[in-house]
Amino acid sequence: MNFKPTYSEVELVALLQEQSEQAFSYLYDNYSGALFGIINQIIPDKEIASDILQEVFVNIWRKISTYDAAKGRLFTWMLNVARNAAIDKLRSKGYQDSMKNISMPEDVTAISPSVKMQADDYGLRRMINKLKDEQKIVVELSYFQGFTHEEISKSLNIPLGTVKTRIRSALTLLRTMIQA
Amino acid sequence: MNVQAYILSGIVESYVLGLASAEEKMEFENMCIQHPEVLQARINFELVLEKQAMEGIVAPPAALKQAIFSEIRAEAKVVTMQEPVPVKNINWLKYAAAACFILLAGSIYWNVSLTNKNNRLQREYEGTVAKLADMEKDLKMISQNPAIKMAAMKGMPDVPGAFATVYWDTTSKDAYLLINNLPVPASDKQYQLWALLDGRPIDLGVIANEYFIRQDRLLLKAKNTQNAQAFAITLEKKGGNPTPEGKMVVKGDL
Repeated sequence: MNFKPTYSEVELVALLQEQSEQAFSYLYDNYSGALFGIINQIIPDKEIASDILQEVFVNIWRKISTYDAAKGRLFTWMLNVARNAAIDKLRSKGYQDSMKNISMPEDVTAISPSVKMQADDYGLRRMINKLKDEQKIVVELSYFQGFTHEEISKSLNIPLGTVKTRIRSALTLLRTMIQA
Repeated sequence: MNVQAYILSGIVESYVLGLASAEEKMEFENMCIQHPEVLQARINFELVLEKQAMEGIVAPPAALKQAIFSEIRAEAKVVTMQEPVPVKNINWLKYAAAACFILLAGSIYWNVSLTNKNNRLQREYEGTVAKLADMEKDLKMISQNPAIKMAAMKGMPDVPGAFATVYWDTTSKDAYLLINNLPVPASDKQYQLWALLDGRPIDLGVIANEYFIRQDRLLLKAKNTQNAQAFAITLEKKGGNPTPEGKMVVKGDL
């Protein structure tokens, strides 16, 4: 049986901020799969997602000093680093040119295929699939594709206030689903 | 503000998922500080999200971990290569400053010692010039003066190497002694020069023992003597005697 050290989150953050390779190795072993999962939900291509995961871990190593425990847990921070990196890639011109089909949809129906439930859906995406379509779309566009409320409002041709309300109601529903 | 309503508004999820606006974020962070239940709601949702994410694990390629470590180590190397540069500069400056100081100190020392040496040489040169001038004067006096007569005094049998010369000016009656070779006397003894006239010694003075140390004069001026047939040097007690009591060292006829 292999002995692997376990760290409390405070210890782990302190060690990472001291640039401990051992702590970083522990972080990778414990969280790379989860982060690869979230990246994959945004970028299905495994090779590109793998490049993004590398970039994400290098950024975590570089930018650990900017992590502020008062604003959230380490995992939440890492999850957002991963999500932002994946969205940056998704919205980059190079990626859009190679994918063609992923661009700002002109109407609601165009979004549907990407929102459609997939067999390998999991985590947050599996949860939002239980939401109503109109909620699903706004969460998909904002969370998984990184569009601003203004962009969604313009794209879906619905008022900005409605976008905000729908997102909020979707998230509230998500919360009750989780707690159930 | 109704805190419970705030928690249930969806702001917690919006904040944690990174969907809140900058304004909403700031407000939420303040609410977390002021209301522990808001903070607790945030942590609860974070834990749920983490649990969900952990259920959605997708194994990354096996080689990726090594690639990441290679990248951060390469980066660490770049950092360590950059770091020594200012350090090196500081060292360089330190060493340069130290070298300058050593050079300056050395230069000052060298200057001082050169100045000292130069002063010493200057004094020696001046002394030598003066000595040479005196000797030239003495030499001229004895060589170019037709009135000069010479008495070569040779060593007695027990001091065969001893030799001295007296130059006597027949006109001025001045007598000059040239010590060619005489043993250095003991400090309680002095050489005394005598003129011999009809077998009678006439005192011409004692030779200062300093002469044997400094030898700064070619000729030693002796007392005048109106007449002389021969000259002799005896070794007397310090200060000399009215009549010779010590042994004779050299003697020569005029």
